[in-house]
Amino acid sequence: MRIGKVVSVSGLKIEILLENEAAGIRDTVYVDTETTHYRFEIEEIRGQVAYAIAFDMANGLRRGLDVYLEEGGLQIEYSDAILGKVFHSYGEPIDGSKVENPRTRGIYERNLSMSEIEIDGDILWTGVKVLDFFAPMRKGFKMGLLGGAGVGKTVLIKELIHNVYANLQSNSVFVGVGERSREGRDLYDEMLEAGLLDKIAMAFGQMGDNAMARSRAVHSGLTLAEYLRDERRQDVLLFIDNIYRMVQANSEIATELERMPIDNGYSTALLTEISEVEERINSTDGGSITSFQAIFIPADDMTDAAVHAILQHLDGQVVLDRKVAEKGLYPAIDVFSTTSRLIDPEIVGQRHFDLVEKALWFLSRYRDLEQIVAVLGIDELSQDDQNVFYRSRKLRNYFSQPMFVAEQFTGIPGAFVKIEEVLDDVEGILTGRFDNVDESRLTYIGSASTLLKG
Amino acid sequence: MENGIDKLISQKIEAMKNGTNVYQTGHVIAVRDYIVEISGMEQVSYFERVVIGSDSEGYVDAIGRTSVMVALTKKGSKIHIGDEAVAMGEEFQLTFSEESIGHVVDIFGEDKLMGQRFADSIQLPIETPAIPIMVRSSVVRPLLTGISGIDMLYPIGRGQRQLIIGDKKTGKSQIALDAIANQKDQNMLCIYVAVGKTKKEVKDVYNQLLKQGAMGYTIIFAAFNDECAPVLEKTPYAAMTVAEHYMRQGRDVLVVIDDLKRHADVHREISLLSGKVPGRDAYPPDIFYAHARLLEKGCQHMDGGSISILPICETKGGDITDYISTNIISITDGQIVLSARSFEQGQKPAINYGLSVSRLGGAVQTPEMKKRGSVVRRDLLSYLEQKEIFELANMDEMSQDLRDHMLRGAKILENLKQYKFALRTPEEMLRSFEGMY
Repeated sequence: MRIGKVVSVSGLKIEILLENEAAGIRDTVYVDTETTHYRFEIEEIRGQVAYAIAFDMANGLRRGLDVYLEEGGLQIEYSDAILGKVFHSYGEPIDGSKVENPRTRGIYERNLSMSEIEIDGDILWTGVKVLDFFAPMRKGFKMGLLGGAGVGKTVLIKELIHNVYANLQSNSVFVGVGERSREGRDLYDEMLEAGLLDKIAMAFGQMGDNAMARSRAVHSGLTLAEYLRDERRQDVLLFIDNIYRMVQANSEIATELERMPIDNGYSTALLTEISEVEERINSTDGGSITSFQAIFIPADDMTDAAVHAILQHLDGQVVLDRKVAEKGLYPAIDVFSTTSRLIDPEIVGQRHFDLVEKALWFLSRYRDLEQIVAVLGIDELSQDDQNVFYRSRKLRNYFSQPMFVAEQFTGIPGAFVKIEEVLDDVEGILTGRFDNVDESRLTYIGSASTLLKG
Repeated sequence: MENGIDKLISQKIEAMKNGTNVYQTGHVIAVRDYIVEISGMEQVSYFERVVIGSDSEGYVDAIGRTSVMVALTKKGSKIHIGDEAVAMGEEFQLTFSEESIGHVVDIFGEDKLMGQRFADSIQLPIETPAIPIMVRSSVVRPLLTGISGIDMLYPIGRGQRQLIIGDKKTGKSQIALDAIANQKDQNMLCIYVAVGKTKKEVKDVYNQLLKQGAMGYTIIFAAFNDECAPVLEKTPYAAMTVAEHYMRQGRDVLVVIDDLKRHADVHREISLLSGKVPGRDAYPPDIFYAHARLLEKGCQHMDGGSISILPICETKGGDITDYISTNIISITDGQIVLSARSFEQGQKPAINYGLSVSRLGGAVQTPEMKKRGSVVRRDLLSYLEQKEIFELANMDEMSQDLRDHMLRGAKILENLKQYKFALRTPEEMLRSFEGMY
């Protein structure tokens, strides 16, 4: 149905002079020229004029073109056949496949009420030593993975996919937002190779795609996860890499709409936009959504408004640190800011809780001693401090881990370490049982117990 | 040559027959540097080519309700209010000649050294749509730079985007030039894109590559400092279109972009002049997308061709965590970080081995290089870290293990020293580490 005419074009935005009242906010409209089919989403209506954002490049658009309404808005087709398929942000498969006998669901529809939400779940071990020790998680949990550029967020996400998902045997949804297309392709190939592709559905709006695609990929992927949760009543794993890119895309759209920005140019509606998405990622009594969300930290600035807005919604956070990465210790985790709600004697048990406290005390003392050593040398330290110094270095090395998905970088096969072993090893290191083992032998190993035998 | 002109003439005759040779016109109503506002031109398309006066040219940057904004790519004589503007009825495109190899060229199809246009040329779009995920394949074939510190420790593959980042005068461009020189007989087409460089600098690059015998397979795309900002902004995209043009014919292409910090600044300049809202550090919010869509052209295509990109980014005070740098790092598949301190200490290339990363790692190395490289890298990194702690300790009191470790580390670092255009083959690199393990 025809709704009006294009009256202006700039970058991603068009203005439409409306001739009727058929169109509303978030409706999809389209324009056809001799060569191209353009699609847009309406973002704002002021009297007779609607403002819409293009799904793709705007080259070739001109004034006076007729604008038509697409029935139903942005929808995603789904059925049991979504698993093993790859979708783009606007809900269509891009791997050349078709969804048979689909039903459709609008990508903005679902909203949970408080009574639907379920908050208790079993603990979920990831087999990554430093995560299980400092930041354990459980079903229905929302875990953030924060890090600046190039410190290993994506590798960690892939390791989690490998470990959690292979062990939990549940279906999952991967949403690629504003990340590298090469990685999307590699993930697809790896899943195919590992025989896991039939358990995962993917949605991509990658960094080469325009702001609209990057902003809406999350909605499309989420709709797939909701289908598995609501209609298939499953426990779903949702991986979002990277949620920050959605916020970034939204600020590009807000600029096009000439809205007033807040600090660092973010969209005025920053908090609203994040809440809208995050509140949908929850568990019900029928099924759960456990999510891992990578968060990019722009300019290594932890105080960034968008990063904070996202963190409000999470149950735990894992922070990756450039200083650790620089030392070649991966996963490069900053243990001081890595936290989880589950570090509580009632949930993980008294022993685990006490060991975390003690390990943090050692590492924070080490941080102070490091500066003293840099000036005075190690020999000036008291015997107690020397113990703390050497054991902390061993502990730090111990928390590096060979990862299954990083085998090509390290040449060392990955290791899945059980939490009981981690607790024993940490206790051993802190109490001096490893004092005679050279610190370099603790890097990139699984469990440390084998080192004691020889 | 006749071919091109014949084609042009027959196209014009065709247009006259169909009555499509009627151009829309308008008049200049405002000028702000290289952004010109024009009234009229009712039916003009977004990104259409526009000619103003007799010798200025540009493209449609925004279509308003009553007027049109044109960004100038060529500024001829002075533009006056009321000057006539003509919409040319075609998209603003790149003019490219296959004969460009071996020359310094611009997006208008002109040979910058000879000062004349190529006789036979084709029109290509400035920007093409994103290369979809499903037509890509894994990056596995090595792209050798001839530099041990890169090929062994932080290797690059065909289809990879590897950032070269560091302060002024730390040898960033030199690494890229070494990499180009090392592509001789590797069946690689190289494109060096100079964004906002001086004419002197570009001429120097040309001479160096010529001397190395590398111009036989290299095109230099130049947008000089004093050209209209929109040209500087569009040139990298245009160069990428050319790279894609060759990749689709199954060729391997290496693109060097020198440099993206300058490109970001040009992008900011144009955005702010056009009245867009500034964000962090006054860059517009779409600065990430501007670089992401450019660098996402780098890929291994499933049909065999590839585009590898070595973008260069200049930092200040060795800070690689500023906004533009972290943006680009989060796009590329790894970074070679250069440090002024290493440079001053004579460690050349001045690579900071702790901060450099290759996200593809061993996947793009031969088994021998991968095996040796991963051991050398681990030893080197732990040496560099321990060096700081044990700097004051007495070597004689160290455990044998630790002392060996320290001595080996120092030797590795020495082994990685390499001066410009002193390129090594993988065999030479492996040989230099023989006997150490």
